[in-house]
Amino acid sequence: MRFSLLLYALYAALRVASKTHKGFRHFIRKARVKILIKTAAGEPARLFIFDQGRISSLPGDHADYDAALVWKDAAAGFSVMTSRKKDAVFNAAARGDLKVLGMSVYAMWFQEAIDQLM
Amino acid sequence: MSQITGGHLVAKYLKEIEGVEAVFTLSGAHIENILDGLNEFGIRSVDVRHEQAASMMAHAWSLYTGKPGVCLVTAGPGFTNALTGIANAFLDNAPLVVLCGRHPLRDDLKGALQEMNQIDMVKSVVKWSATCHDIKRIPEYLSIAFRQAVEGRPGPVFLELPPDILSIAVDLKSVDIPKRRTLKTSVTPVKEDLKAAAKLIDQAKRPLLIGGSGVGFSECGKQVAAFAEKTGIPFALLNNGRGALPDSHPRSINDGGFTAVMAALPQVDLVIIVGLRLNWVMESGQTFPDAKVVRIDIDPTEIDRNRTSDVGLAGDAGQILDLLTPMVASKDRSQWEKDLRAAYGAFLVTEREQRETPSYPIHPNRLVAQIQKVVGEDAYYVVDGGDTSYYGSAGFSSIHKAGVTAPASSLLGCIGTGVPFALAAKIAHPNKPVILLNGDGSFGFNGMEFDTAVRLNIPIVCVVNNDCAWGMIKHAQEMSIGPERCTCSELGTRHYEKMVEALGGYGEFVEKDEDIVPALKRAIESGKPACVNVMTDCTAVSPATVVFYQTLSDF
Repeated sequence: MRFSLLLYALYAALRVASKTHKGFRHFIRKARVKILIKTAAGEPARLFIFDQGRISSLPGDHADYDAALVWKDAAAGFSVMTSRKKDAVFNAAARGDLKVLGMSVYAMWFQEAIDQLM
Repeated sequence: MSQITGGHLVAKYLKEIEGVEAVFTLSGAHIENILDGLNEFGIRSVDVRHEQAASMMAHAWSLYTGKPGVCLVTAGPGFTNALTGIANAFLDNAPLVVLCGRHPLRDDLKGALQEMNQIDMVKSVVKWSATCHDIKRIPEYLSIAFRQAVEGRPGPVFLELPPDILSIAVDLKSVDIPKRRTLKTSVTPVKEDLKAAAKLIDQAKRPLLIGGSGVGFSECGKQVAAFAEKTGIPFALLNNGRGALPDSHPRSINDGGFTAVMAALPQVDLVIIVGLRLNWVMESGQTFPDAKVVRIDIDPTEIDRNRTSDVGLAGDAGQILDLLTPMVASKDRSQWEKDLRAAYGAFLVTEREQRETPSYPIHPNRLVAQIQKVVGEDAYYVVDGGDTSYYGSAGFSSIHKAGVTAPASSLLGCIGTGVPFALAAKIAHPNKPVILLNGDGSFGFNGMEFDTAVRLNIPIVCVVNNDCAWGMIKHAQEMSIGPERCTCSELGTRHYEKMVEALGGYGEFVEKDEDIVPALKRAIESGKPACVNVMTDCTAVSPATVVFYQTLSDF
């Protein structure tokens, strides 16, 4: 439940930033990218759709992503996504708590987008 | 009294002083006497169908043999055709000696055939250029040309030889032929800088060594190995440094390719950059903003380019590693290396699945994996194209120096390099399989060189990764202006294998996954220059395209 709320809160934050945060707006303005975040079990899950500056989101698991960040479980996802440590994602991948499906370069792009907000 | 013509004097010098084995050329009246001299002195002339291929093959020769490549082209269009290959060698820092015909000196400003100012045109893409005006000074000019090409940062040089000095004869005794001198740059950093570098290296918890073409040109694989084994520092070898140590070396992270480097760089606390320019491909060094940087480069002006180094060590890469390795502590960094491998492995799940899984339409990653399975690591792989360069570079591995080359991914981004590079690889290593993975778009530039392959019996095997498009451009257009507005980026289904067959080679057309391996085996067994034309998934987009698009759209 906490992870599900976190994903929704992330969507809300990204939407607000897409209107108010200059650097973030600039960063996402040309991208057409679909990022899925989910657990290995498939739920909770949320698809984030970036379409040339506009952001929308759909709850649930979806197959038409460009990159999917798959967390071992909700606790691992919550813990890393709320961490402020620069190497949290790298360490999670090294531990086996995270795997990336699809085009990993889009996952790196998404991480860069999030970093714009930090 | 023994007389010798200017053209023969050129060949005599090339053979007897520089030990040149092969010259890449296309005939022309202005250079006829040199061509005759090549025959006279037993130098192999590899004659192509377009001078661009000659300059590219000579460039490739330098990578595959460690010796400067020699290209001989005629005046005017012969020269302008060769220019792209010369520019490519210049941006690649490859030692290339271009010998070029010229209109006669006596006809200057008279409107002679092919009269043009070649020197001014070529100046910006060579290290050195000159026109020889005196038959007796031909060896002296050639000597300067060769030294200029190989000393310090290597690069192409250009020497014009007019027919007025090539076709006349002179008494050989009256010619001074310089001895060959080989100097290796021996600039040595001050001890304080070496100590400072060693201190940073010893303190680092998450270091990474990235080697580039400077490692390849320095021939310093052994020194990199000694350094990596003592310090436990993982390394990636890129560009023409790749293969200085086999991809399978225990410290190498080349199995993760571009993804491994991009995943690692933001995490490292120290980057040791050896003989590699921090250009756009390396995002100008911006991907590791917090890391300390030690740079080793033969060109002191590179030390702080785009990213200030904490310690800069100017000089030959191998010589500096020889000095540095005894000064650093022996360390166990196996946990860092293990974490790094696991982390980039997590980003490669889909790519690795694509390699293992049969697919229809065939995914390019699968195609690469099947080729690698058949041919193995004891081979030379050349990849050419946009997306194709990514798939091939990431998927192929070889035990040889320059065993995997992707000339199109160099700074000039010069597609069309594949066939010339593969031909040069096969001439340099006739007993090893040479496999060229070519995009269908890039195949068109020098595909006609299959005539050269057939005529000269150079049995390379070209696999066309055929997505019926200028794939990288088409996919970038889909991202920028939208899929419905793609323009000038479709090519359609073309039977390149039939073109190769028509030229006297062997051809196969493949659409199904299960046909890749048998078709490839038949192509190799044919013993002929061969083309296996494989229809692949036209929707597959490589990460290189995403980076390419992002770089060009970030305004």
